[in-house]
Amino acid sequence: MELVCPAGGLPALKAAVDNGADWVYLGLRDSTNARNFAGLNFDEAALAAGVAYAHARRRKVLLALNTYPQAATWARWTQAVDLAAAKGVDAIIVADLGLLDYAHRTHPKLKLHLSVQGSATSHEAINFYHQRFGVRRAVLPRVLSLAQVENVVRHTPVEIEVFGFGGLCVMVEGRCALSAYACGDSPNTMGACSPGHAVRWEETPAGLESRLNRVLIDRYAPGERAAYPTLCKGRFEAEGATYYAIEEPASLNTIEMLPEFLRMGVRAVKIEGRQRSPAYVAQVTKVWRQAIDSLTRDAERFRPTPEWMAALNRHAEGSQQTLGAFSRPWK
Amino acid sequence: MKIALGPVLYYWSRTAIMEFYAGIAESPADIVYLGEVVCSRRQEMQLEDWLELADALAARGKEVVLSTQALTEGAGDMKLVRNVVHNGRFRVEANDMGAVSLLAGTEGWVAGPHLNIYNPQSLAFIMELGATRWVAPVEATREIARSVLKAQPLEAEVFAHGRLPLAFSARCFTARRFNLQKEGCEFRCIGFPDGMPLKTREGESFLTINGVQTQSARVYNLMQDLASLQEAGVTVLRASPQSQGTGDVLHAMRAACDGAGMPAASKDDNWCNGFWHARPGLERAA
Amino acid sequence: MKLLQLLPEAPPAHALSLALNAGFCLGLVARNDLEPLSGKTVSIETTDLGTRVRVVYDGIRFRAYLGSAPPDLTIRSTVSDFLALALRREDQDTLFFTRRLVMTGDTELGLVVKNVLDAIDWSRLPLPRPRS
Repeated sequence: MELVCPAGGLPALKAAVDNGADWVYLGLRDSTNARNFAGLNFDEAALAAGVAYAHARRRKVLLALNTYPQAATWARWTQAVDLAAAKGVDAIIVADLGLLDYAHRTHPKLKLHLSVQGSATSHEAINFYHQRFGVRRAVLPRVLSLAQVENVVRHTPVEIEVFGFGGLCVMVEGRCALSAYACGDSPNTMGACSPGHAVRWEETPAGLESRLNRVLIDRYAPGERAAYPTLCKGRFEAEGATYYAIEEPASLNTIEMLPEFLRMGVRAVKIEGRQRSPAYVAQVTKVWRQAIDSLTRDAERFRPTPEWMAALNRHAEGSQQTLGAFSRPWK
Repeated sequence: MKIALGPVLYYWSRTAIMEFYAGIAESPADIVYLGEVVCSRRQEMQLEDWLELADALAARGKEVVLSTQALTEGAGDMKLVRNVVHNGRFRVEANDMGAVSLLAGTEGWVAGPHLNIYNPQSLAFIMELGATRWVAPVEATREIARSVLKAQPLEAEVFAHGRLPLAFSARCFTARRFNLQKEGCEFRCIGFPDGMPLKTREGESFLTINGVQTQSARVYNLMQDLASLQEAGVTVLRASPQSQGTGDVLHAMRAACDGAGMPAASKDDNWCNGFWHARPGLERAA
Repeated sequence: MKLLQLLPEAPPAHALSLALNAGFCLGLVARNDLEPLSGKTVSIETTDLGTRVRVVYDGIRFRAYLGSAPPDLTIRSTVSDFLALALRREDQDTLFFTRRLVMTGDTELGLVVKNVLDAIDWSRLPLPRPRS
């Protein structure tokens, strides 16, 4: 099983490689990827340096081109595909049908991974991308249960990658316009959910408030744990109750499911967090490397250690962890 | 300009649905989309019921399209999609790539609003597979519609009236409100014929919970944007059903398209049109 | 009142400005990455010592800010957490979730600062690395 880790910059890429990532995924400094945040990501020189660093250590680099291009800026995406091919990137992560078509025709040797933003939740959908574009791997949206994942794996020749750890979209990826509704920037078209320019944090007598384009997302009492200012993690009022109406702030952590993933033939686990620091990447990658090595040595006796869980728990949003859709007490 | 009525996104009783569509048969809607798009646990209507309704509406001169579920989670959901695709009588609106894979190579299906087609290249690809109508994503701007249709002229539909379907999840937020698990949801969403309002902690109406779907609280309304819709090449306007007043909305849309001038967009003030103007969706642009 | 609060603000602000400007000279930071900071003031405040350092970026270099206008961005944490961030021992979001790091004002500026600092490749400096 392969470990796929995030990098928002060269130091994070090095941290991922040094701590045992098999693949590092990254994005360019524009709207061609879903972490289009100010100052984050790679320019051409950094991409070249990152690929060289990873390849020298026999690791692979993935370029995420996982937003939906539009006519006026179409060339930005195709140039990014061309750049990936020219710089020796090992595979690209794509969601858009037109861009998959372009990449498949123009660079038949460039490996294609279907992005989670492609919202493919069935083997019918995944096999379609395989037949039409030769997609090698698909990243599953974080909405399927373990049994549903297994059913997909069983019915497709495409390698399946699942999310293992990190921030958690409650909505099907590629199918969420909440950020666009509140502030205009959408993951699909701009590569941004709740972008910094629309977010305001303010200390008020009522507590620390987070707002997205003036809409109050949440208000935190002193000492209360904070969350990302995304709509799905806010507290709202419905039918007279004020609560986390969509989801409590929590991070996904599926480390205890690794033996199941292995048994059902999941090819890779992915760590979320290109927006996070090299410190996060280093610490999380290290734990998951140890876990996968332990699993490979003896899957029967695999048990997550308290040290791993503690190390991961520190980084969790709201300092809570969840098995997400894989296990569904809420199902 | 044709007027389309999108699928009912809420869970209504069978009786309510039958009454609603009896009214729609008399309405100026040219196209009627039928079927359950949101949640497969909702079973007031089986496919046979929808087909019966479809026949009745077709007999009244409506073009009927059967819509497929937007988020499919397992083999059971895909079976429902397969049954809709192979209904043998009516056009199908694909709302997921699983449905597209089943429709590819057949002629005349509709590429639904949840397929994420934002550029001419993607539309060309989907047209090659046999799609003959494109429903733009709800967040599509005028520029997106215009640029796509300039390069790929095709029958094109835009979500023009109703609460915006903004997101889908595996989780049911209606069940969550009542501390119920999804599998034991007691079908609480049937008690909210227009969804469950969600307010901010400052009391501002913000979103609408509809089971696994999250909608806007404000009604999206493009009635003041007819000229730019036409200019962009849009040929079909979609209204999304609400429990009250849908007939009036359809009449107003028809009248507006026939040149009756700008209608008073909405009686209440709670409407928006931001997406079309490349603004935050909840905003209202002049 | 703590001793440090009695110290004037200017010397540490000058020192921080010098250090930030050195980042440009050494090629660690590209000026266009900081473009969004032009004309903006940033206040860095320690909650345990009660000190604050304010700097302004004029598009070319940082300098101490001693005016009275409210800062565009305020970053607040303890000295030890600031150090841990600087040494890349801590992740800013981790501190933020637990309220040990609070950023108020223009969040975009905060992200710029954070991402620029994260992108510095210390291995390009012929100096001892802060942490291997």
